[in-house]
Order: sequence, then structure tokens, then C-alpha cells
Amino acid sequence: MGLTDFLVRAAARRPSVLLVTMPGGTPVRLAAERELRCRGWAEASTPAGADLLLVAGPDCPALRSGPDRLWDDMSRPRVRLRAETAEAVAPVLDEGRARLGETERGPYGAVDPRGHGGPPMAGPGEDRDGLTLDRLHLSLGPFLADWPAGLVVRVVLQGDVIRRARLGEPYETGPADPFWSRPWIRASAGEPVPVAEAARRRAAAHLDSLGRLSAVAGWPAEAVAARRLRDDLLEGAPADAVLPRTMRLARRVGRSRSLYRLTWGIGPLTAADAHAAGVSGPAARAGGDVPARYRQWLSDTLDDMRRLDDTTTLLDPVAEESPRGRWDTQRPPSAALAGLLPRLLEGTELAAARLVVASLDPDPDEPAVRRQEVARG
Amino acid sequence: MVDAGKWWTLPVAPALLLGFAVLAVAGKTALDDRGAGRSVTPVGVLRPLLAVPRALVAQPRRLPASDRLLWRLGVVTVPVAAVLSTLVIPFGNHVVADLSVGVVWFNAMEVLTWAGLWLAGWGPNAAFSLVGGYRFLAQGLAYELPLMFALISAATGAQSLRVTDIAGAQHGLWYAVWMPFAFAVHLTGVLAFSFLGPFAYPAGRDIADGVLGETSGVDRLLLRAGRWLWLAAGAAMAVPLFLGGGAGPGLPAWAWSLVKTVLVLGLLVWVLRRLPALRADRYVELAWVVLLPAAIVQVLVPALVDLGP
Amino acid sequence: MGVTNTVLLWVLGVLALTGGVLVFTLNSMARVAFSLLGCLVCVGGVVTVLGLPYLGVVIVLMMVMEMVIMAVFMIAYMMNPAGLMPMSMVHNTRGALVISGAVLAALVAGIFLVPWPGRTGARPKDSTFQLGMSLMADQMLTMVTLGFVLLATMVGATVLATRRGRYDRFGDELDRRPAEDPAGGGVGR
Repeated sequence: MGLTDFLVRAAARRPSVLLVTMPGGTPVRLAAERELRCRGWAEASTPAGADLLLVAGPDCPALRSGPDRLWDDMSRPRVRLRAETAEAVAPVLDEGRARLGETERGPYGAVDPRGHGGPPMAGPGEDRDGLTLDRLHLSLGPFLADWPAGLVVRVVLQGDVIRRARLGEPYETGPADPFWSRPWIRASAGEPVPVAEAARRRAAAHLDSLGRLSAVAGWPAEAVAARRLRDDLLEGAPADAVLPRTMRLARRVGRSRSLYRLTWGIGPLTAADAHAAGVSGPAARAGGDVPARYRQWLSDTLDDMRRLDDTTTLLDPVAEESPRGRWDTQRPPSAALAGLLPRLLEGTELAAARLVVASLDPDPDEPAVRRQEVARG
Repeated sequence: MVDAGKWWTLPVAPALLLGFAVLAVAGKTALDDRGAGRSVTPVGVLRPLLAVPRALVAQPRRLPASDRLLWRLGVVTVPVAAVLSTLVIPFGNHVVADLSVGVVWFNAMEVLTWAGLWLAGWGPNAAFSLVGGYRFLAQGLAYELPLMFALISAATGAQSLRVTDIAGAQHGLWYAVWMPFAFAVHLTGVLAFSFLGPFAYPAGRDIADGVLGETSGVDRLLLRAGRWLWLAAGAAMAVPLFLGGGAGPGLPAWAWSLVKTVLVLGLLVWVLRRLPALRADRYVELAWVVLLPAAIVQVLVPALVDLGP
Repeated sequence: MGVTNTVLLWVLGVLALTGGVLVFTLNSMARVAFSLLGCLVCVGGVVTVLGLPYLGVVIVLMMVMEMVIMAVFMIAYMMNPAGLMPMSMVHNTRGALVISGAVLAALVAGIFLVPWPGRTGARPKDSTFQLGMSLMADQMLTMVTLGFVLLATMVGATVLATRRGRYDRFGDELDRRPAEDPAGGGVGR
């Protein structure tokens, strides 16, 4: 089996990784994305294309069957890994590669994914144009590439047009804390937080959302650029190191005529509708379609980067918006954003629906805070 | 004069195509590495080739209620059609088969990818995969007609469907110079039928890699190789159609073909990173309302020139 | 005709017939559509071997596009997702048998009854040019008229099948900009 040994070891040199983020696992996901980018390992979208399964974040009993199902779908050689903290990511990936190189060898029988019995049978119904076509029931999330981890939207599809959409039932999570809103939570609790730290966190959050939107829009090169900037910001890069690069990114993406042509008119949300739904933050201020929202993120990011050196002012959690809107522990901004989804998704095509979700980018970790507080109170 | 049908061209043509495809993959990886802030090394840019050992050792996957036969047929069709298309593409002074209907042959092979990708999306019985297969048809309806008229422009200019005649008819003045629109539409079509970069819509990240999503092992390798083989074949075809083939001062014909193909390939690889995915629901209107009428006007130009003398 | 061509002709002919038989015996819409495609590709090959490469290759090109699009519509309207539910491809067996038998008999009779002309001139080196001349030279007006009739039919059929008109898009005064569409187009009309 000398040849097989050699092939397995060669293939294991640069494994492709299926990254599964559990609710509350944002810092681990960020560390993993950064690590994969620096190593040049591919990030797989499906179990079929993956060698390593990396489950990032704290354990969540309600969603435990998800990674199990993905694992069953992966063909051997494969290795399953788990990283609960950001520091654990790099050693865990090293271990995964080593184990992949000496994993048990074939000949294998065919893998029989037992978890998913294929999509349920479609039944007919009337479509957008009044024709009778098959309706397919499908669930988007909780684990989908470039999708808010843990969010579940159940859709009824005809062709690739979404006829009906509703949010999945909330599930119990462990003690989660929303990474992107941490400075606001700490400031609400009375801790002094410099405004520079909050601005840094908010700019990184917008760049993270922008990276996800670019990936969903099929522009991986700009997704990488946005995520690099995000990682540099979180590592504490000074303003003069990141500002010029962000301005170039804003020029390439924000002023891109092709991206505008491809996304205008998708997911319209007027400022009035946004306020009525309880949305504050960039989505409400943009008051428009997908391009309005990504342009708002870009200009907000640039504004925040000019405040990175302001270490004297303290964060006022009421006056300053958290990344997704005014922070309110009882009703975090992402809850309102997620609540908008069913209305905005109905009647859109799948690609447009992905753009709408990415351009609002609700953070499922935030509503988790609310349920926890309610449970405690 | 162009030599056709030498026995050694039969193995050399696919090998050359593969070489160009590997070159394109390496170029794309180098650009990606630079964009991601990694160091660009000659060995590092070849790491996509590790997909070959990975495919060979991977365990086969069986999906519930999949149509294994059609799936496999579709996956194999894409790279095979790409290789068959090169039969009529002259390289320097040699061509495998100098068909009198070479341009139509290339077009027919390219259209086989329609069937191949739709089957590849249909076979696994998975929603995202199927959406990917349908997306390629929508994309095909958008790019195909302008591409056909671009090919017809070159054929009309040379008054022949034989690819070597078209290359020979451009005495010093390339068709790319006086039919720039047809050239641009051809290059767009190349990106579209290799479903890469801005035309990666059927294999989009938003539908978890679409047609590629459920494939693993050798199937995945064949489909991914098929994309880059098509990119290389399309670039190689642009040289005789629009850039005068192997003609040029100083160097031998094969060297000119090599240089021109690599330059076209480089341009295409550079464009891959510059645009977001052109979704067919938007692109089809641009294709039919703007590109198609303009392509027909472009055909009129060589037609009038031919009438001239 | 050389030995190679004769062998090719027979092989392609048998394959085409096999594809044709499979169309009526398979029970999944996708497989049926693609065996019909296989059959037609073989017919394209037969035409090529018979010395009309242009027509042969164009048959392959057109049939692939046409059959793929047809498969999409057949599957959409036949309510047979993924061939999960086996379905029969034959209906009205007796009537179909009578009609197809009669047509076959007429065609076979035609083969033997028509006085085929013998070849008078030399075989052209490139038949594409002759084909174009015989289609276009004397019949240019017919071809152009036919082209327009076909185009008008397609546009007309599409217009009749579309429920939405310009008043739905632009409003009663035709002054609503941008138009109200279920999904926006790329040009932004």
C-alpha cells in the first residue's frame, strides 16, 4: 500500500476544511477563518468537498445533530475536530492535518449518508405566474456556508423562487455572549469602555458582514480583502495602517458599477418601515436596497476608523449604536433584523434571498442573550 | 502551410491543453495568495494539484435516490467536450483535424457542457445542486447567442468555417483590431462556458457550490478540471479566430501561438477576480437587449467589407 | 464510401435506433430526454458520415440546446421530480401503434418507390459551400421570409403566453420608473 500511503499523505498537506460555527462561536470562527487564510487551506462549502470537519464554538445540545449529520456525509479520509476557544484553533488544525495523513486507509465501501434521506417529495402548487409547479420545502441554515451561524429560515421553493419563508423556532443555547456587542454590554453594566475600543469592534463587525456579503455575491477576492482588514483591526492594527486599505476597498466595492447593477432593488427597506419594525443602526439609516446597506457599512467603517485613536472618551451605550443598532438588552437589534426576513424573502429568488440575509446580517448570538436574560429574570 | 492529422498531434493536443489549464490554475492561485497576504512560491501555487491524490484516495459517496448514471455522464461530458473541442484549434502550423466546419464543431462541443452541467446538477437529487444545474441553462441562454454571433463574425470575415482559413485570412490585421466587440464577446463567452469567476453562478457559494456541491472524489476532480480545460480551450481558440493564429515576425509559428495563448489566458485569469458573480436573472437582459443587437451589427461589418471589392 | 464510413454508419444507425427504443421503455423523464438526445446526436453523426458535415454538426449543436431546454419544461410540467416516481412514456398505445405503423410503412415505401437520381457531377470537396448556395442563392427571398415568420411566431407566442404587459409594468399612464417587476433586470429599464 506504499502508493496509497503516499497519496493520502500528499493529499493531507493542504486539507480543505468544513467550518461549522456553533451559536456563540464567533471568536472561534474568526480565529479559524484567519488561520485558514494564512495557511492557504481551502474552506469547503459542503461535506462532499471537505477533509476536515472543524466544529467551532461552545457545545450546543439543541444543535448537536447538525455536525453529526455533516460528519456522516463526509467521505473518508476524514477527521473531525473541535475548537471551543480561539486559542485552540491553530493546534487543533495542526493535529487534524497530522491525523489526516495517517488516517485509516481504504479500500472503503461507499459512504451512505444516513442522516439526510434526500429532500422531501415535492407537491404541486400555484407559482408566481399562476402556473402549477412543484413546491419544495427546504430549510436554510443553521449551518450553511457564509450564513449567520444558527439562524434557521424555513422556505417553500418553486424552482428557485421562495414562495413562503418563516423563521425557525428558537432553540436553547448555552451561556452565549454576542462577540460583536460585548463593549456595549460591558458599558451597560457600568464598566468604563473607551469609545475607541467600541469603534474598532463596530468597524470589524461591518467588515465581517461585508466579507460575508461579498462571498455570497460571488466576489471571493473582495471577501478576502474585507476579512483581512477585519482580522488586522481585531489584532489592534493602528488607524493609519488600515484606513488607506479600507478606502481602497470602499472604492472597489462601494463604487463598483457591476455590483450595484447586480444588487439594486433587492430587499428594499425604507427607513420608515425599518423604524416601524424596531430596526435601528445601519440598515435603518441606509433606508434602501442591498447597495444602500453595503455602502452604509463602508462609510460607517471609515468613520469608525478615524476614531480608533480616541482613548479618552468613554462609550455611552445609549448614544452610540452597537454594530447592528441601538443596544437594548431586552430587545437586541438583531431580533428586529431577523424578524424582517420572512417579509423580505417572500417572492425573491434564492440568490437574491441570500443577498438580503447577508445585507441585513442579523447576529443570532444576540437574540440568545435575550432569552437567557428572560430565563434568568 | 498548416499540417493536419499528424499522428503525434493526437496525444500532444490534450497534453498542451492540460498544460495551459495548470498554468491558469497556478496563475489564479498566485493572485489569490497575493490578495490574501500569503507569500507566493512556485511550489505553493501548484497546491490545487493536490486535488488529484485527494480524488484518488477518496471514498465513493452514494446519495439516496440519486441518478448515478446520468450524474456520471454529465460529469464526464464537461472535460471530454473540452478536449474534443481542441481537435480543430491550430497551434502554430499544426492541427489535429482541419475540419471544414471547425467553428461549428467548437461551438457544438461547447454546447455539450449545457447537457453535462445540467445532468451533473440533476444527478445527485439535492436541491442546491439542482438549482446550480438550472442556473447554467439560464446562463447559457444569456451568453450563447452573442457568442455564436462573435464566432460568425470571424467566419464571415474569412468567408470560411475552417479555423485555419480564418487564422490565415488575417493578413497582418487581426480581427481583434477591427472586430473588437466580437473579440470581447468571445472572451466573455469563454468565461461563461467555463463557469469561472464572474460566471461561477452555477457553482456559487450562495448555493453551497451548486453543481460541485455534492460531487466528491474523481467526479469532483473531473468537473473542476473541466472548468479550467474549457478556459484554456477558449483562450487557445481566440488566437486563430481573432489574433492571427501563429503569424508574427521573428519567432516560429508555434512560439507565437504559445505567447498569444498565454497572454489571452493571463487576461482571463486576471478578470476572474475583478467582478462579482453575474447572476443570470440580471445578465440575461443585458445579453439580449445590449450584447445581442450589438453582436449582429458587428457581423454586418465583415459582411459589408466582404461585399466591397 | 470507404469501409470505415460504412462501419461508422451502421454503428451510429444502430445506436440511434437503440436511443429511440429507450425513449419509450425508460421510466424517468430525465433519462428519456437524454436518450432522445443521444439518438439525435447519432443522427447528426449519420448525416456527417453521409458527407454533409455542416448539417451533421449543426444537428448536434441545435439538438443539445433544444433537448436540454425541453427536458426542463417536460420535468416542470410533468410533476415527476427526479424520476423518483416511475412514469410510463406511452399513452394511447393502440392509436399510436396504428399511426406510427402507417408512417413507417409510407416512409419505407418511399425509399423503394422514389426514382433516386444518379450522381452527375463530381463530389464537391467542401459540401458546406454548395449547401449554402443551394439554400440561399435562388431561394434567398424564401429563406428571409421564413426567418421573419419564425421570429414573429416566437415573439407572438411569448407575448400571448405572458400575463403581464407594459401597463402592469409601467402603470396606466406608462410613466412609472423604474418598472414594477417581480425581479429586476440587469439593464434597469
